[in-house]
Amino acid sequence: MSDHTFQSNKENWEKSVNKTLERFPERKESFTTSSDLEVERLYYPSEDETYEEKLGYPGEYPYTRGIQPTMYRSRLWTMRQYAGFGSAKETNERFRYLLDQGQTGLSVAFDLPTQIGYDSDDVMAEGEVGKVGVAIDSLHDMEQLLDQIPLDKVSTSMTINAPASVLLCMYLAVGEKQGVPLEKMTGTIQNDILKEYIARGTYIYPPKPSMRLITNIFEFCQQYVPKFNTISISGYHIREAGSTAVQEVAFTLANGMAYVDAALDAGLDIDTFAPRLAFFFNAHNNFLEEVAKFRAARRIWAKTMKNHYQAKNPKSWKLRFHTQTGGSTLTAQQPDNNVVRVTMQALAAVFGGTQSLHTNSRDEALSLPTEESARIALRTQQIIANESGVADTADPLGGSYYVESLTDQIEEEVNKYLDQINEIGGAVKAVEEGYMQREIQRTAYETQKKIENEEEIIVGLNQYKLDEEVNPDLLKVDEALEAAQIDLLEKARNERDQHEVDNALARLREQAKDRGANLIPHILHAVKVYASVGEICNVLRDEFGEYTGM
Amino acid sequence: MGKIRVLIAKPGLDGHDRGALVIAQALRDHGMEVIYTGLRQSPVQIVQAAIQEDVDVIGLSSLSGAHKTLFPKVINVLKEQGASDIPVVGGGVIPAEDIPYLLERGVQKIFTSGSSTEALALYIKQLVNPEKEQLKSPEKIAHIGIAVQQIDHVISFYTDTLGLELEGVETVESEGVKTAFLKIGESRLELLEPLDNDSPIQRFLDKKGEGIHHIALETEQLDERLQNMTSEGIPLINEEPKQGAHNSQVAFIHPKAAGGVLFELCRHTEGSEH
Repeated sequence: MSDHTFQSNKENWEKSVNKTLERFPERKESFTTSSDLEVERLYYPSEDETYEEKLGYPGEYPYTRGIQPTMYRSRLWTMRQYAGFGSAKETNERFRYLLDQGQTGLSVAFDLPTQIGYDSDDVMAEGEVGKVGVAIDSLHDMEQLLDQIPLDKVSTSMTINAPASVLLCMYLAVGEKQGVPLEKMTGTIQNDILKEYIARGTYIYPPKPSMRLITNIFEFCQQYVPKFNTISISGYHIREAGSTAVQEVAFTLANGMAYVDAALDAGLDIDTFAPRLAFFFNAHNNFLEEVAKFRAARRIWAKTMKNHYQAKNPKSWKLRFHTQTGGSTLTAQQPDNNVVRVTMQALAAVFGGTQSLHTNSRDEALSLPTEESARIALRTQQIIANESGVADTADPLGGSYYVESLTDQIEEEVNKYLDQINEIGGAVKAVEEGYMQREIQRTAYETQKKIENEEEIIVGLNQYKLDEEVNPDLLKVDEALEAAQIDLLEKARNERDQHEVDNALARLREQAKDRGANLIPHILHAVKVYASVGEICNVLRDEFGEYTGM
Repeated sequence: MGKIRVLIAKPGLDGHDRGALVIAQALRDHGMEVIYTGLRQSPVQIVQAAIQEDVDVIGLSSLSGAHKTLFPKVINVLKEQGASDIPVVGGGVIPAEDIPYLLERGVQKIFTSGSSTEALALYIKQLVNPEKEQLKSPEKIAHIGIAVQQIDHVISFYTDTLGLELEGVETVESEGVKTAFLKIGESRLELLEPLDNDSPIQRFLDKKGEGIHHIALETEQLDERLQNMTSEGIPLINEEPKQGAHNSQVAFIHPKAAGGVLFELCRHTEGSEH
């Protein structure tokens, strides 16, 4: 590369910085350290053969150094704590508390019956209602959940997969009632079914019809809800199930490519849906490996989208991602130590250039977090953002010999897995054959053995143990909630126009049989007449069948 | 007897199966036959699988908070099907305060976050083959050790006031201690006096003052018991038996294993008096 192009690329970056500053001025006039040393926007080599090819400038291809030209100097990442338990009313109170405390986005945890498309009164739901998240049966519950939360200002992320279409429609219906036009609604649905088969377990239908629902959502949103992130392709749960950092990135990107392929097969144009794809990664304890992992993931995705899929719009090349700190790294022993782990993991995510972040609460190995624990978790992010100074320059670790070498190595190892999955016939096929599941289980078992023979030290667990553990106060979900939720559902069923519901469900069933039809408008209609999550999903269960595992 | 057969099951809707899968693999490595049910099993399905597969034990895993509903349900269905001889153990994210509730309803044992797969495998072996692996309870209290500043100052209380028989006074240089044994029924009281400032008894006196120092339990199966405790991760002061007073083999268990009480396990060889 000649000095000349190096200079002109740098000028390009500077131009895009100026454009960015018009829309997102930096948080301060100037950034300085405690010794009053000026902090530059970016540090980079004066001249380097491989710099632009491998790293480039922030906001420029291949985005190794981040997707925005000024990164957190303009806007901090979105602090988005995943929350939800019990009834819609209780969760609404927690949401409003978190927003009051300075949280900038919502993230909804649903209970397992909702995530698997069962109403609270289904026999399969027994004992699970409201336990790991909020129970949503009908639009009534969703209205209660979002009560007094302005959906034109707050973006909401919903951890919902198999019934993502139903919950998305409920969310849109509430927005409509608040008077927010569809094109202004922002948020994210997880909608990533492949990792459910691999690692998380809340699947309903077999892969083919599930992929259809996903592409239906892509198509619908591209047309009517263009600001909504239609999928959050998740490595988080793959990592929690026991994978390595390399496997996390490899399997996630492989799944991402499968969704792109499915959408292309359905006739969508790459540059219409690819900019709305979002990702979701984990942050574990090996600090610099995690930083390198995020940077490598961004570079691989950019290259794949640009070269393999020939996407033209730079927005299609950018891997935008949410990060959550690693739940499985937390210990039930000496739970306050988890605050330290979470801090380290959150820092790795920030050094890795995350767009939004959830920090786990210290008591999550014991139960759902208490309000106090959830607040400390949020404060952890706020301290990193406001006190550490790491957000004052873009990609501060870029150029570290170790980090760059790790970034290269991770890219190389990920590519080996991607080749392997390609040989099997793509991610859907690999999932069906159990390939990724086996790889993850092997790693999980090896990790357990290493911990038991103390090859891996976990502070407080296999070393530095305490004689007596103090039992912290834990959050309890009221056992009476299940019955109360079932009463609410019954009430909703009595108040609605049953004839309208029957018609809406019959129409949905008819359209489900037609493989070319987009089901979203029909689901939206059913939701608006107060058909329940279970009723809608049961229609699709009848038509699509159920996935039963390996 | 053939291989131990274990059913690992995920009751309810919870999809977190990392723990269940790791345990299944670990038990296989311990030579057991493991059947894993997969996700989303109802209590009835689990019991049917257990009976059909003729398993020796059922392991339930739940991380979603539904354990208080679902674990007892499995036990009830086992009863209904006349299969309550199949023991049930559980694990997952289970708060300590829920454990008594589950045990009362018939779950044999709960293994929570941080439990080792070794301990679980050992537990299952003992649960299934009690006659082979089960240890007998310790036979009796061999003695109660009492730390004193000077034996001479207190001995008359024991011999004159209480009228106990003094069996002898012995100095154990290696332990930095002088001991006096007083016979009471089939047990003894052991007075312990430090020989110097480095003596463990002196350290005890500095920290806690005079008083009960330890309780010694007589057990024939000293080696087996130590081995067992080592693999269960019980903290021991002596992992191997050492020579004690009066031809005995002794080993101390760390007080943090026993609610702050220092226990000594001892075995007296043939011919010794106690």
